[in-house]
Amino acid sequence: MYAVIALIVGVVVGLLVHPTVPEWLAPYLPIAVVAALDAVFGGLRAKLDDIFDAKVFVVSFVANVLVAAFIVFLGDQLGVGTQLSTAVVVVLGIRIFGNAAAIRRHIFKA
Amino acid sequence: MPSESPTPPAGGSQERPPSRNAIAPLLETLGRDHLDPGYAQAAARRRAASAGAAPAPARRSTRPVALVVAGCLVAGVVLGVAAWRTESNQPRAENTRSALLEDIDRAQERQSLLATSAAELADQLRASQAAAGATGPLAQVTELENQGQLTPVTGPGLRIVLNQPAAGQGQDRTVILDRDLQLLVNDLWAAGAEAIAIDGVRLNTRSAIRQAGGAILVDNRPVSWPLSVEAIGDPSALQVKLVGSPSYGRFSSFEQLYGIEFDVSAQQDLNLPGGTAPELLHAQPVSTAEAPPSTR
Repeated sequence: MYAVIALIVGVVVGLLVHPTVPEWLAPYLPIAVVAALDAVFGGLRAKLDDIFDAKVFVVSFVANVLVAAFIVFLGDQLGVGTQLSTAVVVVLGIRIFGNAAAIRRHIFKA
Repeated sequence: MPSESPTPPAGGSQERPPSRNAIAPLLETLGRDHLDPGYAQAAARRRAASAGAAPAPARRSTRPVALVVAGCLVAGVVLGVAAWRTESNQPRAENTRSALLEDIDRAQERQSLLATSAAELADQLRASQAAAGATGPLAQVTELENQGQLTPVTGPGLRIVLNQPAAGQGQDRTVILDRDLQLLVNDLWAAGAEAIAIDGVRLNTRSAIRQAGGAILVDNRPVSWPLSVEAIGDPSALQVKLVGSPSYGRFSSFEQLYGIEFDVSAQQDLNLPGGTAPELLHAQPVSTAEAPPSTR
């Protein structure tokens, strides 16, 4: 419950406060968005599976964002940034889809 | 295809042999394990811990809740910032696009302005050259420019209007090729034309007529159909010689077979623009000491 409220509050804060994103950070924002969605859906599914663990949630979220950003950064330095971002988005996107499907099965039993 | 693996997966319950193809299991994992395995491990640890310690710890510490709230807050902020940035970037991209389009328009306008002013200045230059003296080196320069097809000329001649056949009838519209036009121009020169322009582009000694896709380039400038080929010379002599030339036969047969437009008419007053001077890249003028004395 608190988590949902916190999520909504976070979205509202992000929309209203308009924090200036530094230019060097801007390329990693889409990756961070996908990683955040992955963490949120993963956490929700774990909650429905009754195996939710706060530490795992936070650690996996932070680690995924950092690793994804690092991969993209490395790709940018090597000149294959777009390809590696695609790889990150594909992997996280499949996970998001799978978790969303699991959540749907939990809720609708279908 | 010979299979080295002795046991293909028969769909039974036996353990599958480790696949040589490392990609397949990776993709399988990707499709199967969506949830972070850490959750299952943490749950297993908790179960083990609660089985060991007799009473399950009833008190719920506030730390995990705070962690979850913080994590969700960060995730929400990331989502919100991303949404805001996407929204605020949209008009900016639109602005950039329209600004670039305006830049292009301005540059094109400027280009045409400069072209007209260049033509005007060249006219002025010629006029003042003519005023400065009809004799001496300047007269020689004018003479050479005339011979080099650089100056605008006027006089009687032939106008030949060419056009591709109308579209439709399932026909390819491109009937007239660059080589046909080359043949026509060469026949005109051979027939005694003194100056030729295609669609307002004057041909000089080094002009090329070539095709780039469906468009014809004359002296590297695109020309559009219908083309009017204008040649200055004695109209009747030009026409007589042209009718006997191979290009006339070719274009007449094109006219009958494909329905192109091919129209030769004698004109009393043709105005042809000047051509562009070829740029000298490697040639350098001989120094004045070696040049023949131009004095009287």
